[in-house]
Formats: sequence, structure tokens, C-alpha cells
Amino acid sequence: MVVLNFTLSEDGVAVLHDALACMFKFSDEVCLEARKEKLTLTTLNISKSAYVCYSFAANRFFSRYKFEGSPQYREKFSCQLYIKSLLAIFRTRQGGGETAPGRDASIERCDVAIDDGVGKKSRLVARISFRNGITASHSLPYEVKAPTHAKFNEHDAGNHWAISSKTLRQLMDHFGPGIELLDINTDEESNLVNFTCFTEKVQKRGGVNSETVLKKPLHTNIAVEMDEFDNVQVEDKLHIIISVKDFRAILQHAQITSGELATRYSNPGRPMKLYYKADGIKCEFILMTVGEKDAKEQRHKTPRPNASVKGPRPELDAASHRASSLSTSARQQAPPEPTPRTVAQAPQQPQNPTPARPRHPPAFDLRPPQLPPPGTAQSEDSMFMGPAPEDEADEDHQWAPVNPDEDEEEEENARLEWNSTSDPNPSTLRISSYLQKSSTGTDNTPPDRQTSGLDPTQRLSQVRGFGLFAD
Amino acid sequence: MDAQDPPIFRAVASSTRLLYQLLKAINFTNKVHVEITAEGIRFSTDHARVMQGVAHWNKTLFTSYTTNIPTLDDSNNNPDDEDDDPTPPSVTFQLSLPTLLETLQIFGAADAAARQARSDVDPYRSTNLRNNRPDAFSNQTLGMSNGTCSLSYNSEGDPFSIILEEGGVKTTCNLTTYVPEIPEDIPFDIEDLGFKIITQARWLLDALAELAPASPEKLAITASKTAPYLKLTSVGGALGSGGIDFAQGKDLLETFTVRKKKWSQTFKFDMVKAASEAMRIATKVSLRGDGQGVLSMQFLVEIGGEGGGVCFLDFRFVPYADRDDEETESGEDDEEEGMEVDG
Repeated sequence: MVVLNFTLSEDGVAVLHDALACMFKFSDEVCLEARKEKLTLTTLNISKSAYVCYSFAANRFFSRYKFEGSPQYREKFSCQLYIKSLLAIFRTRQGGGETAPGRDASIERCDVAIDDGVGKKSRLVARISFRNGITASHSLPYEVKAPTHAKFNEHDAGNHWAISSKTLRQLMDHFGPGIELLDINTDEESNLVNFTCFTEKVQKRGGVNSETVLKKPLHTNIAVEMDEFDNVQVEDKLHIIISVKDFRAILQHAQITSGELATRYSNPGRPMKLYYKADGIKCEFILMTVGEKDAKEQRHKTPRPNASVKGPRPELDAASHRASSLSTSARQQAPPEPTPRTVAQAPQQPQNPTPARPRHPPAFDLRPPQLPPPGTAQSEDSMFMGPAPEDEADEDHQWAPVNPDEDEEEEENARLEWNSTSDPNPSTLRISSYLQKSSTGTDNTPPDRQTSGLDPTQRLSQVRGFGLFAD
Repeated sequence: MDAQDPPIFRAVASSTRLLYQLLKAINFTNKVHVEITAEGIRFSTDHARVMQGVAHWNKTLFTSYTTNIPTLDDSNNNPDDEDDDPTPPSVTFQLSLPTLLETLQIFGAADAAARQARSDVDPYRSTNLRNNRPDAFSNQTLGMSNGTCSLSYNSEGDPFSIILEEGGVKTTCNLTTYVPEIPEDIPFDIEDLGFKIITQARWLLDALAELAPASPEKLAITASKTAPYLKLTSVGGALGSGGIDFAQGKDLLETFTVRKKKWSQTFKFDMVKAASEAMRIATKVSLRGDGQGVLSMQFLVEIGGEGGGVCFLDFRFVPYADRDDEETESGEDDEEEGMEVDG
């Protein structure tokens, strides 16, 4: 039993193709829903963050439309099809440049019928007649399935604006490459609507602490005067963020279909609706916007403080800056007294307050000993392991000249630090000045050590056996 | 002694474009069977003995064409020639088809390199035009410049040599010849024709393009005395099935004769699709089916320019075995009925 029957003109086929091509950017499958007064195509993308709905008015879009219905499907009939196979059928054919009747291979008409019922093969049959007299008929299997519709509450969505789709499409040309998200916000003072696009894609920079950096640290802001828009009514400074890929797909279609694109939305994290109309078709897109909460959660999950999506984003720089210097600055701002970590570790260390020289614990006897630097021998034992800060100072005093390599490293560290934190007094970080201080007096050394960021990963007593130091 | 004898075959052409196009139409296997006669060169390719493509280089395509084919007493090692006395004496061997095609494209290769370099420099070109896409007016596409292409085959077992000269650059290509397999032509009984239809090659191409997206496995060709006269149906596609019929047009079919009520056979879709290059360059196609179900497609390629002659490309296809065929046919019939109800 024929459930649905309609005929499209050549232009109708082209419009349907455009609509399907746009949908194909969201999903692989389309749900077709036929009613008496309209035919609706809907699709939901795989992550369920975007919903597309096209309604074709029965009396305007089609040259002929008849919803016959059947006992099973009295009110409406819906089924799901592959967009890919539909695209192959509903495409414009080139006439081959020949305009003579009987030679022109372009489409004359396209009849579509859906046949369903008990004991029938469920097929969508598209019969395309070409001007040259060839008839192609395609029959596609489909799945009878009720469509999923996205809900959108118009009353809650107080923010709205409309703009010429052509203008908006032109703005899109300025979007940078490789961007993912688009932040739309308004600035009432300067009478502007801002389109800010950016990406949060990060890449690992390698290294031990698996630091990540932005892949494309480019932020493009396109400011458009509000005069370009119609009906702007938007909460000032409200940032609404959507996916650029979806936005692009919509605009591409909007530009060829309709003159004006309108949108409604409420708050971040709530859906946003974009819609436009053309003769006989209504296009509606509901996109989920990126919410503040999402962004925050993301920030917690991933080590990128720059994931803050809300607000004007001067923090991007500051934040990423902080990320890169996080480990060092934490140490710097530590209080002068021994950090809890040092204290906690202290008991594990072989304690030896006496300046006698039981220098190697037997476990560390593996390497040949090095000659100690002259004049540092007296306090070697207590290096980095005593709970008392004074000892530590002595240790450092002894340690520095012994290991020039580490010295260098230290200096590098120090340099990194003041570069990133713009420490007003970098000279205190220099090992040399530090050493001077530690040799003169022991009282002020602990804070100094903290400042210089000398936080050994290993106690010197532990490495002593590795042959770095002499007996 | 070889040096003293005149070569078996020598020909000179000023353009390789048509030679290339004709060969490309039958480019579906690695080896091409070459047969040189006094009238021209015949190239035939063969796919698993169920599909055969034949292209002719008529001697009119060349500016000079001389052969010195050994007469019967020399061709003892060619027993086939002796069998068929009426056929003119010929020399046969095999060549690697991709290599031959590549050789014929050498004209304007310097051009192509320059273009490549340019597209590397100019990002607009490299992003907007696919890099290796030939320019419509490059010498390589036109297959000519002020160069010449001379072909020669000295004696049996020698390489087939192609010398291309262009602007002071001379390229000599010696293609290894292989011992001919002497594949027999797919038998096509011209006395027992089931149907004969002549139509525009382009319609056939359009029809295949229409069916191809569903990636069908088989193609059924049905010719019947009543509407739809000629029908192509795809069978076993993953994305549904389709059918093309040529019922409505007045000028669609130039010649149409069907002997019995109906002629219907099923072929492998991909094989018929392999002939689409021929459909592209040809103007007309003659479809014939014989009593055994073998399909012959003969394409007429018009030669533009000064000569204004025609060339022919022949394809023959062996259908699926009858038993299979009937099964699928009955399936099709069901669908056809369904479609009529819908319409």
C-alpha cells in the first residue's frame, strides 16, 4: 500500500539535495516523517549535541504531494534512511550542454513513493524522469522508526537576533584555520556583537610532567556592529559558545537557501536554536551550547587552565603562563620554614648529626668515590638530610662546587623562574650570591633556598654512593 | 642479418592523444595483446576470459605506416595464421599496457614538471586544483606539440620501440615484448543476434553513473519488444537497487531490433563499468546480444580534426550462467511490478 506519494520538480530535487548535503555534515542517517500537511526530515548527530529539522510544506514545495496513510499509519509515517544513498539519487544531473529536446539529460521530474504494509517489501521508490526520455528508478530499503525530536523552549530563550545569512557567511571567511568553538557575545557599550573563535585543542609538549600547550593559540574576534542585525535583544556580555563545524554547515546551507537567519537562546549550557525559512521550507537547527559548568569540569580534568570558556579572555595568557611555571612558582612562594614535605621525609633519612664522617651508608658503596672539594669536608654528612635548616645550608655550601653539572642545571632553573614570574630580584637566585650568603650566615639560608627553587629530587646522601663525591 | 632486413613494422604519428585515448578505454588489465597487420594495429585485452576489449589503431591515424610482415613461409611458428588463410598475415606479441600508456603520455612531460613546480610555489593553484590533474591545454593532454612519435618493431622477439621527439629532446622507449598467449576472442555469433540497439554512448554512461552509487554486484540488461524496450537493472547493491529504462524518449534508440520477445542477461557490474572510459569518448554505441547471451558493445569514436574518420572500440561480455540468471530475473520481475504499482 502506498503510504506517501510526492513529485518534485528539478529545482525541488536541487533544494532537497542541498538540505540532505547539509544534514550529512551532522549525521549519516535521516529520519523522514510524513504528515498530511508537511514532510519533515530530521537528524540528530551522534553526540546528540546538534539536531537538524527541515519541514517541507506539502502545498508549496512539492508539485504534487499526497499522504495516503494506511491503517497502521493514519496520522503520520516515519522511517529512517541513509543520507548517502539519498544524496546519490537526489542530485542534479547536468544537461550536457544540449538544450535540444530529447537530448537534454537533466531531470524533468522526480516521483517518490513509499510503499509499506503487511507482506510488502518496505521500499522508498524514487523514479526520476529525464528530459531525454530515460527513466531511472531507485528503490531504497528503510527502517520504520519514530524520529527523535529535540525540544526547545521558546519562552525560556529570551535572547534573540537575526541577520542576513549572506553577511554572516562572509564573516565566516575570517575564521581562523583549525578552530573549533565560536563564542558569540555582545557589548552594548560599543554597540557590537562579537564572534570570537578559538580552539582548545592541546598537544603534549612531552617532558616529565606532560605539560600541554595550545595547538593553535589563535583567537580571532570579529566584531560586528549591531546595526547589521535585526531584532537584537541579548543580555549584555552573555557569552554563548557553539561548535564552529556545526555553525559552518548551517551557514553554508542558509546562504544558498534563505535571506535571513535568526537565532534564539537563553544561557550557556542550554540549547540554542537557529532557524530560517525559504519558499515552502523551514529549517531549524538546535545546537547545544558549551556550558560554564562543562568548561570548569574540563579544567579540572585536564591540566589546561586556559579552558576557561567564559568571560573576556585576557586570562588565557595569564593562565597558560601559570601552567607552565606552576611547579616552580609554587616552590618560590613557599614559606621560609621547612615545608611539610621536607619534614615528612626527614625521618627516612639516615640521620647523622655528628660531624664525624660515616659518610657512605653501606648501601651506596657501589660507585668509586670522588675527591671532596677542599674546605667543604666538615659538614658533608648533614647535607639535605638534617631536619635543621642550618645543616641544609651547610650541605649546599659543600654541594655546589662539587657538582658543576647540577650547578648549571640549577642556574637554568633559576633563570626559567624569574623569566616566568618576573621576579624583581633575580640576583638572589644566582648560585654564587646564594653561596656567599650561605657561607656568611646560616640563619637566612632556608628562605634563600626556597627562593632559589633548589628542591632536590633526591637527597644528596642518597646519591653520594654513586661516585659523585669523594670520600 | 636483422640489421639488413627492413623492420617488420614502422609508423610515425604526430599526435599520441588519440592513440592514448583509444588504449586507455581498454585499460583494465596489465597485458595487452598486440596484432600488427598491414591495415593497422589491433590491441586486445582480456579479463578472466569473460570480458574482452579491443581497440584498433587504424593506419590512418599515422602519418606514415609501413609493414613488412613475414609471409606464410616465415610464419611457421604462428600456426594460427596458417589455419585462417583468409585473414591477412600478422605479427602478434604482448606488451605491458600500463607501460605503453605511460610512454604515450611522455609528450609534454617537461611541461608537467614545470607545472608541478609552479603549483608548489603558488599555493592557490596547489590547493584549488588537484596537483596531478592535467591542464586541459597542456601538451601532455593534447598529446602533441611539434614533436613526432615513431613506433617500430624490428623483428620477432625484439623490443617494441617508441621514439618520441619533441623540441630537441628525444626519448627512446623500448618495451619488452612477450610471447603471445593467443587468447581466443570471446565467441560472438553475429548470425544469431538476440537484439541490436544503437544509442548514444553518453546515455549508457549516464545510466551506469546512475546505478553505480549503490555499488551493485550485477547488472541485468533486458531488451524487449514492448516498453520499456531497453532496461538496465542493478542487482545486489548494498544501498538498494535501481533500474534505468529507455522507454519514453523518441530519439533515444536509433536502431532497435529484438528478435524474440525478450532478451535478458546478467553481467558483473564492475566489468561493464570498466568500459565507461569508452562510453566517455565515444559518440555512439551499438549493443548486441547473441543467442548465447554474450553481449557485444561496439563504440564509435569520432576523430576530430583533419581526418574526420571514425575508430571503433569493441567490448564483449560473457553473462552469468543461466541458472543464476533466472533466479535474479524472477526477483527483478517482482520489483518491476512493485514499481509499476507505485508509479
